[in-house]
Amino acid sequence: MFKNGLSYFASAVFVLVAHSAMLLNIFVNGNYSDVNSVVTLSAVVIGLDLAYFTAMLFFKQMTYSIDFLLILILNMSVIFQSSFGGVELNKKHLITCITALVACRGGYLLCRNHRFIQNKKKYIFLAIGALVIAIVTLTGSRSMWINLGPVSVQPSEFIKPLLVLGCATSVMEQQRKHKLLCFNVVYENIALFFIIALICGLQWWCRDLGSLPTFVGIYICGLFFRLCYPKAKFSKKAVIVGVAVLGALAIVAVKYAPSYVQDRLFVDIWSDKTGNGYQQSKALIAIAEGGWLGKGPGFGELHNVFAYDNDIVFATISEEWGLIYAIMTVIAILVILTVPLINPPRSYYHASLSACICSAFTVQMALNIFGSCNMIPFTGVTIPFISTGGSSMVTSGFMIGMLSATQSPIFKKTKNKKKSSSGRRAHN
Amino acid sequence: MKSINRSRRIITLFLTLFIAGMIALVIKLRNESSFYMMNSDKLVLGKVYDRNGEVLFDDSDTQYPEGHFTDVGNIIGDAKGQMTNTLVSANLELLNNYGFEQGLVTENGKSAIYTTIDHFANQAVFNAYGNAKGSAVAYDYKTGEILVCVSLPSPDVTKGYANIADFETGTLISKNLYGTVPGSTQKISTLISAIEVMGADALFAKSFECTGQYINKSGEIIKCHKSSGHGVQTIQQAVENSCNPFFAQLVEDDSLPLDGIKNTYRKMGYAVNEDVKSRFSIDGILCEKASTTLENSYDFDTQWGCIGQGDTLVSPVQLMMWQSAIANATGKMTMPHFIDHITDVTGKAKDHAVTQFSEEIFAPSTAQTVKQIMLTNGNNNYSASIEGYSVGVKSGTAQVKNGQEENSLLVGFVDSSRHSIAFCILIENKNNVTVTTEQIASVMLDALCS
Repeated sequence: MFKNGLSYFASAVFVLVAHSAMLLNIFVNGNYSDVNSVVTLSAVVIGLDLAYFTAMLFFKQMTYSIDFLLILILNMSVIFQSSFGGVELNKKHLITCITALVACRGGYLLCRNHRFIQNKKKYIFLAIGALVIAIVTLTGSRSMWINLGPVSVQPSEFIKPLLVLGCATSVMEQQRKHKLLCFNVVYENIALFFIIALICGLQWWCRDLGSLPTFVGIYICGLFFRLCYPKAKFSKKAVIVGVAVLGALAIVAVKYAPSYVQDRLFVDIWSDKTGNGYQQSKALIAIAEGGWLGKGPGFGELHNVFAYDNDIVFATISEEWGLIYAIMTVIAILVILTVPLINPPRSYYHASLSACICSAFTVQMALNIFGSCNMIPFTGVTIPFISTGGSSMVTSGFMIGMLSATQSPIFKKTKNKKKSSSGRRAHN
Repeated sequence: MKSINRSRRIITLFLTLFIAGMIALVIKLRNESSFYMMNSDKLVLGKVYDRNGEVLFDDSDTQYPEGHFTDVGNIIGDAKGQMTNTLVSANLELLNNYGFEQGLVTENGKSAIYTTIDHFANQAVFNAYGNAKGSAVAYDYKTGEILVCVSLPSPDVTKGYANIADFETGTLISKNLYGTVPGSTQKISTLISAIEVMGADALFAKSFECTGQYINKSGEIIKCHKSSGHGVQTIQQAVENSCNPFFAQLVEDDSLPLDGIKNTYRKMGYAVNEDVKSRFSIDGILCEKASTTLENSYDFDTQWGCIGQGDTLVSPVQLMMWQSAIANATGKMTMPHFIDHITDVTGKAKDHAVTQFSEEIFAPSTAQTVKQIMLTNGNNNYSASIEGYSVGVKSGTAQVKNGQEENSLLVGFVDSSRHSIAFCILIENKNNVTVTTEQIASVMLDALCS
C-alpha cells in the first residue's frame, strides 16, 4: 500500500507541522485586529488536513505521496490567500481548494485505468469540440470567460487536461498507420494537430495568448512521445528541424502579433511604471521590500494592485512571507512533479500523461513567475494551486489526479494472461 | 521501456530548465533589488562625507551651520530632483539604506558615500570668489582624487527651491562639467599637436613675427592682445606671451598639416567638425567632451579655434585632465573620481576607488616638453602671484557672448611629489570683478597643501 511513499502517519504529521508553523508565524508576526480570524483560519486549515487524511484512507493506492503534497500546497495556498493585506479566512479560495481536491479524486479515478480511458477517447475529442464551441458562442465578445451569475468560468482551462488525455491516449495508435493519398498517416496525429491549431487560433481570436505556451508545451511533449513510440530513437535532425520551425513560428507570431501584445512584449517596465509596466514594477518593488523573510503576513501593500492574488501572486507572497517562503512553495509544487522520476510510470500511456502534465505545470509556473518578475513577457497566467481562480484550481486538481493515477495504475488483464496465471497457481 | 524512460528525461529537462530559471531569478532579484527600491517612493538616504569625515549631504532633519553645503550645492546636490547631474542624484542607489537581507532600514542605516573632496579647501575657494562667478576644479593627478570642485553661483540645498524662479542662470549645474570657451588655454592643445606632428626640435627652431596683428592667407586679421606686437617669437615666448599671431602662423605653416592637428585633437578627446559630441562619466556624473571646428588651415575660424576662441568648447574638468597627462609626463590622463569608497547599510566598506588612466593621448616625450614649457612659464610669470609653489601654468582669456564679456581661465599643475595637484580655474566676466585666477589658485593650493 505504501510502496513508494513515506509512511502515512509521518507524512500526515509533516503536513500538520508545516501548516502549524505557518499559522504560528501569522499569530506571532501577522497583521490582524481580531485573534479570532487567526483561530478560524487555523481551525479550517487543520480541520481540512485531518478530514483529507481520513478521507484518503478510503482510497487504496500504491502511494499517497502526491496526495500529501497536494494537501500541503493547497492549505499553504489557503493560508497565503487568507493573509494578504490582513488576516481573514478567504472562503471563496477555500471552496475552490476543496473543489480542486474533489477534482483530483476525479482525475485519479478516471485515468488510472489505461484501457478504460482508451475506449472513451472519442468523448475526449468531443469534449474539446464542445468547449471550443462554448467559448465561441457562450463567452462575451472575443473573451475566454463565461459569466454564470456570481461565478465566472474559463472553459479554455478545461481543455488542458483533455489535451493531455488526447495526447496520452494516442500513443498506442502510432502503429496503426493509414494510407492517405501517397502518405502513411496516423489519424490521431492529424486530429491532434488540428486541435492544437484550433486552440491557438481561438486564443489568438480571444486576444488571450497567456495560456498558449502551456497548450503548445503539452502538445510538443505529446508529439515527442508519439513520434518516438515505442522505441524509436530521437532523431537529432528531427529535433533541430522541430526547434527551428518552432522558432520561426514564434518569430512570425511576434512580428504579426497585435499591438497590445507587442506593447507587453517589448515594454520597458521602469519607463512605463504607470502603464504596461505597472504590475511588474510594483511586483518587483514588493519583492525587494520583502527581502528574504518578508514584511510579515498581512503587512504587504501589493494587495492594492490588480491581480495581486493570481497573476503576481509570487511577488505578493514574497513581500509578506519573504522570498524564501515563495521559493519553498514553488519547490513544493516541483516535488509533486518529480514523483514520476522517483516512481516511474509503468506504461507508455502513463509516461506520456506524466510528462505532459509536468510540461503544463512548469510552463505555466514559468510564465507566471518569470513573467511577473520581468524575465520574460508578462502573460497573466496563474500558478497552479497558489493563485486564485476556480477554473484554474479545478483543472490543476484534475491534472494532479491524473498524475496520481500514474502512480497507482490499473492494468486490465487479458483473458490469456488470466488463464496462464491461474494455470501457474494451479501448478504451484 | 525506452519511451517510459524517455518520459523521465523529458520531465527532468523541464524541471531542470525551470530550476535554472529560478536560480537566475533569485540572483537577479538579489542583485537588482536596490534598483527596484529606487523606483519605489520609499527612500531612506544615508550621508555623503568629504575626505576628512565632514558631512556634504544629509537628508535628515539635522541642523548645520548656515551655508555649510553651499560650496558643494551643485556638485554633491540633493535628492529633491531639481538637479539631475550631481553625485547624489547619480548615486541614490548607493545611498539608500536598503539591503535585501535587512530590508529598508529607517533608523541608523549606515549607507554612505565617502568622497575625495576636501571640504575645507572647497569652502576656501568658494569664499575666495566673493561676488564673482565661475568655477574651479582640482585633483590629484597621480591618484585621480577630485579635491576641489566649486561652481558659482551655487544653491543652498537646505533652503529648498521655493524661490527657484529667482535663481541665477547656472546655479543648478556645476560649470566644471560643461563646455566653455577655453581662450588661450587651448594653445596647449595646439602646442601638443605641433610637437606631435613636427617634433620638438623643429618646433623650437620655428619663429614667427607678431606686429600686433596678423593678416592670414585668407586676408583676415588675427589680432594680438598686445597691439604693439611681441616681435619675433619662439614657441616658448609665444606660450608665455600667449601670442595669437604666432599660433595663427603656426597653424598655417606647411610643416603642420591640419590633418595632424585634427588627429591629435581627436586623440585628446575633441569632437572635431561633424564628430558626435559625447560625454564621459565620473562616478555617474556626466561631463561634456571638448569640441571644435577645424576645416581649413588658412581659414580664420580654424585658426581662431586653435587659439581657443570661436566655437571651441572644453569643460574645465577636461582641461584639468589634460594637465595630468602633462604633469605625469606620460601622455596618459589620470581619470578623476569623486567617490573614494562606499559603505552599505550595515556599514561595511566596499568599492574602494582604484586609480585609472586613459589611453596614451600623446607621446610621453611631448608631455615632457610641454611640461617644461609650462613650468618655465610658471617660473617666469607666476612665481610672484602663486607664491611658494613650482607650478606649470597657462592662462587664457575667452571671448563670450559675442565678445561682450571676457572670461579668465588658468590651467596648470603643481610640480611636487608631495602635492601632485592639477587644476583649472574659470572666472566669468573678469573685467567686472576684482579677483583673479591667480588669487584663486593661491587660495586653493594654500588650502590643499596646508
